[in-house]
Amino acid sequence: MSTALGEQVDDDLWSAIGDPTRRRLLDLLLIDGHGTATTLGQQLPVTRQAVAKHLGVLDRVGLVWSTPAGREKRYQVDDAQLARAASQLAAVGSAWDARLDRIKRIAETIQRTHRDTKQT
Amino acid sequence: MEYGTIERELYIDATPEIVFDVVSSPEHVKQWWPDDAHYEPVAGSTGTIRFGDPENGGGIETFTVVDARPPRTFSFRWTHPAGEVAAPGNSLLVTFELTASGAGTTLRMTETGFREMGWEAAVLEHQYQDHVSGWDYFLPRLVPYVATLSVPS
Repeated sequence: MSTALGEQVDDDLWSAIGDPTRRRLLDLLLIDGHGTATTLGQQLPVTRQAVAKHLGVLDRVGLVWSTPAGREKRYQVDDAQLARAASQLAAVGSAWDARLDRIKRIAETIQRTHRDTKQT
Repeated sequence: MEYGTIERELYIDATPEIVFDVVSSPEHVKQWWPDDAHYEPVAGSTGTIRFGDPENGGGIETFTVVDARPPRTFSFRWTHPAGEVAAPGNSLLVTFELTASGAGTTLRMTETGFREMGWEAAVLEHQYQDHVSGWDYFLPRLVPYVATLSVPS
């Protein structure tokens, strides 16, 4: 696959995961296995309404999914989508690592050629 | 203002002049990155870099040289929409800084401007690599997922 960054990063997914409150929600859901806006709101310094809104964003990009639990929704993390997010973030960095590796190899090959030329 | 940076630093056993040439000249750049590159390695030059076959899943990206001061600095912007002037907010800024180090060169690379393009990926990746605290619960769980799950791209 080409190394153009734009093709590797799903913007919606990353803007969803980029918010600190939403990351904290993912943390809490991973620790507890599941949670509702009420139970999660009790653990965070934000309102239940704000938590519900953040959960909605995470739901839309597939990072969490819900089942009905009384009048609320019970959320849990979607493992496959989380793995996809993780592989994207690794790809951005590793693409540059590979490029810099090649830069190093090319430059050092040229340098060796120069030195050899001087010696002969 | 631009957010989000990938930073890398490495030592290269070659003089800054040679390393500068490798990171800046289109002939060399297409050996380590795109399949083709068209621009002049001077400040203000605009051009393109091509990945694969644009007719067949590949793509052409815009490329604008921001700064070229051999053998110290080479920077460029890329991914801005064709026809737009490269500026913060519409493109990624890549900067190479070269410092003589013994017989070789320390090369420092930064890529910034991820706000519009998932900049959090860069931040997360950095924390991921360095095991920085703050993701105490989240990150340890990511690692096994990456290792074990097959991921649709």
